[in-house]
Amino acid sequence: MECFIFEAAEKCLGVETEYIYRIADDIQIIPVPLAPPCYRGLIYFRGDLFDVIDLGSLMGGERSLLNGKPYIILLKWGQRKLGLIPDKIIGITRIEENNGSQTVFTEEGRTTELIMPEKIWKILSELPYGP
Amino acid sequence: MDLEKYKKIFVQEASKYLEELDIALIRVEKDFSDLQMWGEIHGKIHSIKGMAKALSMERIAGLCHSMEEWCKQFQGSDIKPSDEAVQLLIDGTDLLKGLVAGKNDVSSPENLKEWERITARLVNSPDELVKQITPEVRPVSSPSKIDRIRVDYSLIEELLARSQEIMLLENRLPPLSQDQISTGLKSWIDNYMSMLKGLHFQLARLRLMPVNDFGSLFEKTIRDLGKTYNRDARFEVVGGEIEVDIGLLDRLREPFMHLLRNSIAHGIEPLDERIKRGKNQEGKIVLDADKIGNNLVLKVSDDGGGIERSAIIKYLKNKRSMSDEEISRMPDDEFFDSILSVDFSSASGTTQLAGRGIGMDVVARAIGYLNGSMSIHSEPSKGTQFTIKLPLSLSIVYAVVCKLGEYTLSVPTLNVVSIERAEAVSSEQNGAFYDLGDRLGIDAHTTKPTYILKVRQALNINGETARETPVRFAVDTIIGNMPLMVMPLGELLSRAGAFAGVGIMENGGISILLDMDKI
Repeated sequence: MECFIFEAAEKCLGVETEYIYRIADDIQIIPVPLAPPCYRGLIYFRGDLFDVIDLGSLMGGERSLLNGKPYIILLKWGQRKLGLIPDKIIGITRIEENNGSQTVFTEEGRTTELIMPEKIWKILSELPYGP
Repeated sequence: MDLEKYKKIFVQEASKYLEELDIALIRVEKDFSDLQMWGEIHGKIHSIKGMAKALSMERIAGLCHSMEEWCKQFQGSDIKPSDEAVQLLIDGTDLLKGLVAGKNDVSSPENLKEWERITARLVNSPDELVKQITPEVRPVSSPSKIDRIRVDYSLIEELLARSQEIMLLENRLPPLSQDQISTGLKSWIDNYMSMLKGLHFQLARLRLMPVNDFGSLFEKTIRDLGKTYNRDARFEVVGGEIEVDIGLLDRLREPFMHLLRNSIAHGIEPLDERIKRGKNQEGKIVLDADKIGNNLVLKVSDDGGGIERSAIIKYLKNKRSMSDEEISRMPDDEFFDSILSVDFSSASGTTQLAGRGIGMDVVARAIGYLNGSMSIHSEPSKGTQFTIKLPLSLSIVYAVVCKLGEYTLSVPTLNVVSIERAEAVSSEQNGAFYDLGDRLGIDAHTTKPTYILKVRQALNINGETARETPVRFAVDTIIGNMPLMVMPLGELLSRAGAFAGVGIMENGGISILLDMDKI
């Protein structure tokens, strides 16, 4: 399978390309009150609203200092839409189909953790929203 | 009832059927034995007849009835269609086009002559037609003026997406020095982008559909259900001019189908019972649409027998082990909500007795999925009303857009009583402000608030004001009063419990629409 690799929270992370809708840049993120710190805001892209998440902050790292308009990895699966802000984009790589349980792979000496959008969504859903 | 409004819908719908009828008749002319096609022809004529009858357009209904009788004979095996018979039906269709355009009036002496000729022939059996008709030269009419087209919804979505992509090009405009760009060119680019943003906004409006059109989808279903269950009911739409996102309405099709089916099958009483109760012989089902505050409120009501309380009591005792006392203490809304339970719906015996319940859990789930809520009000012998409250989905609302800290917020203009400059407000009034910043968890602002918004809270769905005194709160700046395309909140932001939707401005910017009921 093809995997999109990026860095966040000082980790190397990957997401299957089938979930990736676009890599957007030059889009202003609109902040929203009452959201948890990792929730950076909303973007309106091609008729859809995407919740934009600072992945580093979500994964326990520091909240990114956003300079200008960062790259945003836009994910779409089922009815859900999510934008992820990585610290750094590495690129696409092809890895062997895993057996369903393997979530970490090493390639070119780099250990990458494969993340599932639904899992990120679950974590986001459990965060407090509101005052 | 605004009859003209319904006549307008009739003209639109009937014209569509007549165009399809033309094509079907041409096809059947090539294969008289195509019973499926005859069935389709019959169905289309029947639909026009039903609509015309409801609007007392007797001339149209009468002609349709005669044409329908012929179709029935061709669908049976006893009479074979002929070229002449199909031609007469084509002539009848042409005549119907004129009658529909004239809303039942014969628009010209030629049409009157044609009406007399066709109806005189249709009263006879199709068998006799061959003997009467002699070949004649027929005038060929040009196709009618094309004033509407049907497009696939996905095309509209694609156009919207494309226009936004073009708008995004603005962000990629390379930085140009004064030497490279003239004032004229800059002004041209600004103008071009402004036009483009306006175009995007107009395209977004293509996604909106009047509730009237949504209601008309059910006209025939209600008529057919009435026949099936032997109930006489008419359907009315109130607030049909309100425009709602087609995506939302599409998701409401199935839930409404359930509600309407239940209204006819279990709500509206049989004729003899209605007479006994002193009610109008014809039952009434109403779809009432309204925009209240930040919500779209749809009410489906009938003047039927109401929900049978004893069936709900039986269910609460048997399935929830509740005592008479506990049941009597239940508020009405909670009591009627019982019919939305899965186990209530599946208990068919109870369901039948209660007169509702079939698929009601499915309806409740569908409404919940749209972040909406449903309440039920029912009175014995008077009827039942389902009130569905949905966050404004994609629709256009006017709103005052403002800034508070780093946030761009908006309040529907309808809720705004006044906007005052902060320095014009006396110091004693100052203390009475609602601290919106605190409510929204916004840190102390760096700038001093410059405007005070006086905002009334929305009426709740029972028509009572939620709070008597309008709320005043301070904001940093006012961006303007402008139309917003409102999109629903996603799952995550819905949890904040303070927002009604996300407003897209004409320039593509985003503002967060405050839910004044929850602020």
